[in-house]
Amino acid sequence: MANVLDLRRRIRSVKSTRQITRAMKMVSAAKLRRAQERAISARPYALRIASVLASLKRRVEILDPVTGNLRHPLFAVRPEKRILLVIVSGDKGFAGAFNTNILKASAQFLSLCEGREVDIEPIGRKARDQMRRRYPQATHEEVQTENPADGSSLVRHVRHRKSGIEVVGEHPGLLEKLTHGAVREIAEEIIRRYTHEEIDACYIVYNEFKSVIQQRVVTERLLPLIEPGSHVIVDAVEPTAEEREFAATVAAAAGISPFAEDTHESDEEAARFGTADVDYIYEQPAAELLNGLLPSYVSAMLFHAMAESVAAEHAARMTAMEAATNNASDMIDSLTLYMNRVRQAAITKEIIEIVSGAAAL
Amino acid sequence: MDTQLLHVTLVTPERTILDSTAISVELPSRTGRIEVLYGHAPLLAELGAGDVIVQGSDPARWNVSWGFVEVLPDRVTILANDAVAPGAIDVAAARLEVERAHTMWSAAGDEAEAYEAANRLLEEAQSRLASAGE
Repeated sequence: MANVLDLRRRIRSVKSTRQITRAMKMVSAAKLRRAQERAISARPYALRIASVLASLKRRVEILDPVTGNLRHPLFAVRPEKRILLVIVSGDKGFAGAFNTNILKASAQFLSLCEGREVDIEPIGRKARDQMRRRYPQATHEEVQTENPADGSSLVRHVRHRKSGIEVVGEHPGLLEKLTHGAVREIAEEIIRRYTHEEIDACYIVYNEFKSVIQQRVVTERLLPLIEPGSHVIVDAVEPTAEEREFAATVAAAAGISPFAEDTHESDEEAARFGTADVDYIYEQPAAELLNGLLPSYVSAMLFHAMAESVAAEHAARMTAMEAATNNASDMIDSLTLYMNRVRQAAITKEIIEIVSGAAAL
Repeated sequence: MDTQLLHVTLVTPERTILDSTAISVELPSRTGRIEVLYGHAPLLAELGAGDVIVQGSDPARWNVSWGFVEVLPDRVTILANDAVAPGAIDVAAARLEVERAHTMWSAAGDEAEAYEAANRLLEEAQSRLASAGE
């Protein structure tokens, strides 16, 4: 039987663990509040860009009437042979099933891509680490070629594909300090690859976050753009009612509303941007406007996905840490009970010994 | 004359920066500066790099770069990729950007896209410097 000293030591250790998990919960709650605010303040821009793009697309024919070419290469739909998959996960663990769910959804998507070339663009350390363990890194080779015009040498990067699924790029620390500039760079690279026909489609896996109880892991198509302003969801996994309820109670205890903030009014106003029923004067030709709008749209979509994912990560960590704190408390209770029993047993034993010793006299 | 005021909104991808009323708004469109007064014809334009100047009871100046603007008779909505208050401009960083743009320009070779990128960077950095009064 364990002695009282051992048990006391164990209780102390569980107590300090509880202290840590409780602190982590508080920190996550504070971070969640900030992340949620940021996700909400990013909405007006994203909605306005989407609505002006949709309206422009309605007014201007996608095909140039003179040449019959597409107005913008991002509208081009090709058979999906080469796919870019952007996976937005968290940077750190201790967030319950958050990262696992994202990776499970990505694995699900990848299993459907049999026989196609897939490039994975992991965002967040957890996705990067796992994808790198599973799939090879894309390799590039510098090739010197001669410029036929003047004979000067040019350096070109040639991609050597060794396997159907490869990991490209990495973005350490992007989620920690999410800025629009960095996200825009990623968007521009994706658009460059799409217009150069290096990829035929772009999908993104991320955790959508409307509020603590309204979230799900979605797989969404980013490119080609067929209907701007609407989300093309390929796959969505929602949490169970039980998980949702627990998350709601935790959020309420931390002073965070479990419901989405009412943005209905401002959303409606944003949706009117560029869609008024009047004849606009287009300062630039439509093709040029599209050229500027589309990258902004794609980066706004990416930014939105990442901002929501960050909020969801903090929410998941907050719930996981609350559960851990509760478990630690339960453990302390049962250990204390056991310890008291052991102590009592020892006392009883001693008394019996004394009494029986006295009786023997 | 309250009815003669324009409703101005300046929105960046990260947040809404400005939401107020004004008598006039000066904007850097891609093809030149425009000034908008109450009753302007509906207009949709691409934004260049430069200063947005709001005149009225609550005057403001913001250095913006790239984006869009929608003008309706009674409201102006500016969607900018980036907006900085003139006082918050990092002059040293802008100078470095100008230098970087020059190197990009000379390294661009035959690629039209690279020239375009260099031009944009240069324009952005120079407008920042001008806005900071350097």
